[in-house]
Amino acid sequence: MLIKRSEARAGKQRLAAAYQGLSSGGLDRRAFLKQAGLTGVGLSALGAIPLTTVRPAQAGPMNHQQPVARVKNICTHCSVGCTVTAEVQNGVWVGQEPSWESPINRGTHCAKGAAVRELVHGDRRLKYPMKLVNGQWQRMGWDQAIGEIADRMMAIRQSSGPDSLFWLGSAKFSNEGAYLYRKFAAFWGTNTVDHQARICHSTTVAGVANTWGYGAQTNSYNDIRNSKTMIIMGGNPAEAHPVSLQHVLSGKEMNRANLIVIDPRFTRTAAHATEYVRIRPGTDIPIIWGMLWHIFQNGWEDKEFIRQRVFGMDEVRAEVAKWTPQEVERVTGVPGAQLRKVAELFATQKPATLIWCMGATQKTVGTANVRAYSILLLATGNVGAEGTGANIFRGHCNVQGASDFGLDVATLPAYYGIDETAWRHWSRVWGVSFESMRARFDTPQMMHTPGIPTTRYFDAILLPKDQIQQRDNIKGMLVFGHGGNTVTRMPEAQKGLEKLDLLVVADPHPTTFAVLANRRENTYLLPICTQFECDGSRTSSNRSVQWCSKIVNPIFESRTDYRVMFDLAKALDGAAQRRNMPIRFAEEMFRPYEIANGEPTAESILREINRGAWGSGYSGISPERLKLHQQHQDKFDLVTLRAKDDAPAEIRGDFYGLPWPCWGTPEMRHPGSHILYNTNIPVKDGGGSFRPRFGLERNGTTLLAEGSWSKDSEIRDGYPEFTVAVLKRLGWFDELTAAEKASIAEVGTGLGGEDRVSWMTDLSGGIIRVAVNHGCSPFGNGKARAVAWNLPDPVPVHREPIYTPRTDLIAQYPTLPDRRGFRLPHLGQSVQARSNEVARDFPIVLTSGRLVEYEGGGEETRSNKWLAELQQDMFVEINPRDAVARNIRDGQWVWVTGPESNSRTRVKALVTERVGQGVAFMPFHFAGWFQGEDQRRRYPQGTDPIVLGESVNTITTYGYDPVTFMQETKVTLCQIRAA
Amino acid sequence: MARMKFLLDAERCIECNACVTACKNEHEVPWGINRRRVVTINDGKPGERSISMACMHCTDAPCAAVCPVSCFYTTADAIVLHDKDLCIGCGYCFYACPFGAPQYPRVGNFGSRGKMDKCTYCAGGPQADNTQAEYIQYGANRIAEGKLPLCAEMCSTKALLAGDGQVIAQIYRERVQRRGYGSGAWGWRTAYRETVAI
Amino acid sequence: MRALLLALALLLAAPVAGQAQTAPQISGTPTSPTPMLPPVADELEVLKALQGGRLEGRITIPDQQAASLIQPQGRSWRDFHNVTLAWVGGIAVLGMLALLTVFRISKGRIPVEGGLAGRTIQRFNGLERANHWMVASTFIVLALSGLNLTFGRHVLLPIVGPEAFTAISQWGKYAHNFLAFPFTLGIVVMLLLWVKDNIPNGRDIKWFASGGGLVGNEHPDSERFNGGQKGIFWITTLGGATVAVTGYMLVFPFMFTDIAGMQLSHIIHSIVSVLMIAVMLAHIYIGSIGMEGASDAMTTGQVDLNWAKQHHNLWVEKELAKGRGAEPPASARAAGAD
Repeated sequence: MLIKRSEARAGKQRLAAAYQGLSSGGLDRRAFLKQAGLTGVGLSALGAIPLTTVRPAQAGPMNHQQPVARVKNICTHCSVGCTVTAEVQNGVWVGQEPSWESPINRGTHCAKGAAVRELVHGDRRLKYPMKLVNGQWQRMGWDQAIGEIADRMMAIRQSSGPDSLFWLGSAKFSNEGAYLYRKFAAFWGTNTVDHQARICHSTTVAGVANTWGYGAQTNSYNDIRNSKTMIIMGGNPAEAHPVSLQHVLSGKEMNRANLIVIDPRFTRTAAHATEYVRIRPGTDIPIIWGMLWHIFQNGWEDKEFIRQRVFGMDEVRAEVAKWTPQEVERVTGVPGAQLRKVAELFATQKPATLIWCMGATQKTVGTANVRAYSILLLATGNVGAEGTGANIFRGHCNVQGASDFGLDVATLPAYYGIDETAWRHWSRVWGVSFESMRARFDTPQMMHTPGIPTTRYFDAILLPKDQIQQRDNIKGMLVFGHGGNTVTRMPEAQKGLEKLDLLVVADPHPTTFAVLANRRENTYLLPICTQFECDGSRTSSNRSVQWCSKIVNPIFESRTDYRVMFDLAKALDGAAQRRNMPIRFAEEMFRPYEIANGEPTAESILREINRGAWGSGYSGISPERLKLHQQHQDKFDLVTLRAKDDAPAEIRGDFYGLPWPCWGTPEMRHPGSHILYNTNIPVKDGGGSFRPRFGLERNGTTLLAEGSWSKDSEIRDGYPEFTVAVLKRLGWFDELTAAEKASIAEVGTGLGGEDRVSWMTDLSGGIIRVAVNHGCSPFGNGKARAVAWNLPDPVPVHREPIYTPRTDLIAQYPTLPDRRGFRLPHLGQSVQARSNEVARDFPIVLTSGRLVEYEGGGEETRSNKWLAELQQDMFVEINPRDAVARNIRDGQWVWVTGPESNSRTRVKALVTERVGQGVAFMPFHFAGWFQGEDQRRRYPQGTDPIVLGESVNTITTYGYDPVTFMQETKVTLCQIRAA
Repeated sequence: MARMKFLLDAERCIECNACVTACKNEHEVPWGINRRRVVTINDGKPGERSISMACMHCTDAPCAAVCPVSCFYTTADAIVLHDKDLCIGCGYCFYACPFGAPQYPRVGNFGSRGKMDKCTYCAGGPQADNTQAEYIQYGANRIAEGKLPLCAEMCSTKALLAGDGQVIAQIYRERVQRRGYGSGAWGWRTAYRETVAI
Repeated sequence: MRALLLALALLLAAPVAGQAQTAPQISGTPTSPTPMLPPVADELEVLKALQGGRLEGRITIPDQQAASLIQPQGRSWRDFHNVTLAWVGGIAVLGMLALLTVFRISKGRIPVEGGLAGRTIQRFNGLERANHWMVASTFIVLALSGLNLTFGRHVLLPIVGPEAFTAISQWGKYAHNFLAFPFTLGIVVMLLLWVKDNIPNGRDIKWFASGGGLVGNEHPDSERFNGGQKGIFWITTLGGATVAVTGYMLVFPFMFTDIAGMQLSHIIHSIVSVLMIAVMLAHIYIGSIGMEGASDAMTTGQVDLNWAKQHHNLWVEKELAKGRGAEPPASARAAGAD
């Protein structure tokens, strides 16, 4: 009786056949999926789920007798971009299957990706709009909520001006959502619109864009398989981007590659390294310069590459000469012999790639760190080829796209900046006049003034008005998809939030923003659906854009970002009318879009993006092309990401997801650029060169490439970006069609003549088409800059962290002097001077980072029962020696205190040698406890995350990067004692 | 007929816990029951390795040998399953299991054990395949659908392999030969009284 | 390689090893970088380094049992359960039954010498008897349900079939778990009631030397409890305590101990139990059909005076001296007295 009934015999035979593919292919399991993936039939019945306005959060076993729809979307957690294959029955997401076809994740997931189904039917989600009435959460209808919010927004606008409303967007938006939000802020008349990139890779974008042109990962996760040497410095992808490790470890195995991890912490990634280098937190630049010291000393640099493609390396040599092995060891703690070995491997066992994450960026020297990393790559000739490059692993699922679409205080979509040319360009794309846009701002000047970054919003609320360069303090915040515990100095944030006249949190979950401060009124929660419940595209870290199909309709009363923005625009019109204010939104903003079911379609928004985002090459990425890529994922090569010869004609030769820049119009069928600045292939096949963005020469030295050009280029030397004037000089102007010429002429009228129309502002795409036809990069062929003269430190120099335990080094390596930026004061040396006293009472360096089970502020993942079970307590990692000295046992409660605001957190001790002596680590995903107080009761009933805990940012401190106002989360000081 | 096994390549495992949540997702495993888990040995030190562990579906399974009510059975694919209708929750299989696989929901008085739950190799239980009754007691039956356990299918670095023992051993062997190192097939000696010869 | 093994061994042996031996360093300066050895951590080598111990690591779920990765001791426990315990239990129980059968056949029922006196003496009061029967009855259920877990699969299962057997075993498990509490209580009360009469002394040695009167016809002197009864008492209380303590370890899984403790608890619990069962078989035999007059002690509490004199002469003397000695049989009471 206990013998298994075996109707499954047929299935098992298929299995046996599938193994053949497994064994011969080694790693390739696609053969398996074909045989295994098509057999979803079975028995049993499941009652149909009634569809009412409040959709039940019900999941259940699949009914094997009913048809199952398979829908593809992308994981909403990190930036790797893993395809999620959902099985849907009766509008309910009943199962998740491996997405074997995806060349990025090939069926796999991490803990978060394998648990995303729970995000959608999670019963702790926000179910309907709510507001605080006398400190109590009250349910309300959508129309009323949006109406009240619009009215209060207009009140703020009327009394304090448009810059007093903070538009905090999200890396969880789709590209279309991010773009729409940026456009909304522009129509509102402010540049104070920001998102998570500020606190993860803003310094990367600034650093690498200032070095070679674009602020993005140069290669891809898949391309790491080609590397012979990999350095992971300031990143823990095993926890932050687990699926990327599939490519890293495969590369390591297949090439017997060197995997070097440089980090203060022995991470899960370090466990797989061939060489681990433990450094003192905050000493990245001395490490890089120390490596370069050995490289220059031994002549390991790539002299030809430097000559052809790099500007200013000699100035770097002068700085590097100061970093002798002795000095490096004194500052960083790393012995010279080890660093010499690492330097030699990196410079000589090529191709080599440098991978970094927030360990590099979240620093007061973040931009300088990134610059130093880039210079190391340039010096060794490790950019612009397979297996090389700056493999910058970005954070959220669409932080790249949200950055690309200008959720940033200093740029419009596609990195056009906020100067007049940029505004004129986008006004034209939006079909509105430049003048009418200017009129929406408080003053014309504010249109070109960078806004206030999210790291400082509370300073802009709390500081005296006269210290802020705008009409008034910030009075209201719209927070879409953003946690309140992700920014440092939370005690200050709490005070700031309490002072706001309006706080709107639009999110699937009530984030820390909703509960941190003791607010009693004027606080709204809007349930936004997840990206699994709406259509749109998202851009993963490697610039591949992937179309995400809606899996199920928004559950409960939640709505899409598109819908909420559309409704808000309409409500603002009404509110403005009631107040006799002339400003209007809905008609002008949404006119270009196709409206279906009360909201603009993602496709129509993406088409508008295609018409405007020439500068970053989003112009060729049409919804139709993306959907074809989604449909034929299995046709792309695992390593090159290129569609193979057996692919349908309409995608053949494309790189997966058309990694931007994807030049020209969709009709041009540019394949996308898998590897940036790659001169080994023609531009029309995704090749390129460094982008000259900073003039043609500097102090008499050319900034154009010398003796280097992308394959098949008809200009066999460096050249500037393409404009009509350049085309004319080259004699290529008449290759433009009549229609293109007409379009250019029209654009030219606003720019003072058609000659000034460039590849970026030409709405016809003609200039790009002609340039690419001649094998040229539309943006030109320049040198990368080892010296970026427009930055505070043109050549990066070491600067001790603001709060450093090594007070003996402050005099020699001080931080920058106090200054101003982004409309606010920015203190440097005056705070650093405190270290001399602080370091005595707070002797332990505190650094922070990610856990694999949670993401970002963590509300969503801590509400997911499958993930929450895995990490139930906020903790601090402490070295056994420090623990013994403090009489602290593994697992006991401790107080971790910080040097500002008398801040303190109660967490569990994790005694481990992951951290060195004198260093402590805390993960940043926790919230809901604040300085020992359990805030669970402050959440609307039933929406409190399963796991709450203290936020590390309660005790993190002052310190900002001078270029982007990136916060310092990786080096501060703390004290730990038993609780 | 295949001889199904699990093989964990510790050189690949990064403790991402995908196997754990994939299992929860596929079978709606309740809070507190961990059919699969990841253990990190040597934490924070050189030589640190993470190992994902669940029921290994042993040859001559100790659980079956000690079960007082004989509720275990082995399928033709050598998957060790049990009948929850017969299990009395005595805990003997947990004492005997080298891998800590059996899990017990806490029921009734003084947290005593309910009916044992463990990894089914995504092969369900004794009921008819892919019925709701089977799902509620044991979870999904992927094997009957011609699929492999979801934990292995979703493993982020393909550290966890599932399938016929000879086939996955061959995959592992090729991997070790290519990269030049390997720490052995974890648990194989204990579970199958053999190891993968390189 | 060797160094790594050593390191592993050290790591796994000492929970928080390597405390401060070096001078304190400047905060934030890392300890010396750790060079990576070729990563080899073969399962067998690790287990060898552990010398058969458990392989434990770090986990993040709260269930600390899950931190044990591989515990080869499971195999030893299996051998114990399936082989050692089966043999020991089988031999103890069946052996005792065989012994008693032989004894019965060779010696027959032990009579009261000189026949019944007709007069009785109070041997156990109500509390003593009630407590005895509470312990006895729970013991029998515990014993049967316990034996079922070891032998039922081979003995009962083939007869009644799997469903019925599971039902029996399931109820047996409930009974076993719940009756553990009255059993324990009874053992404690028993200890308190009778410990003063069960302190071993020199007479017990003589009693044993003469075989408790069973060998030959000599009756050694005996107080309230003879050497054999004292033995039973101590086996019951000490054995019962052991079984109870180890049993609670098993009823409350992992509340007090880890997997090794659970296994050890089970081993002690089961071995002591089967030995107690064997002893109790003898006790039951002697106290019931094996000896004339013995069962009265725990039924009515009144034993025949001759029986008492024969087996507990010193106790009878003491009782009579106290003046509240033998009572006439009920039939001898004055009519209408009640």
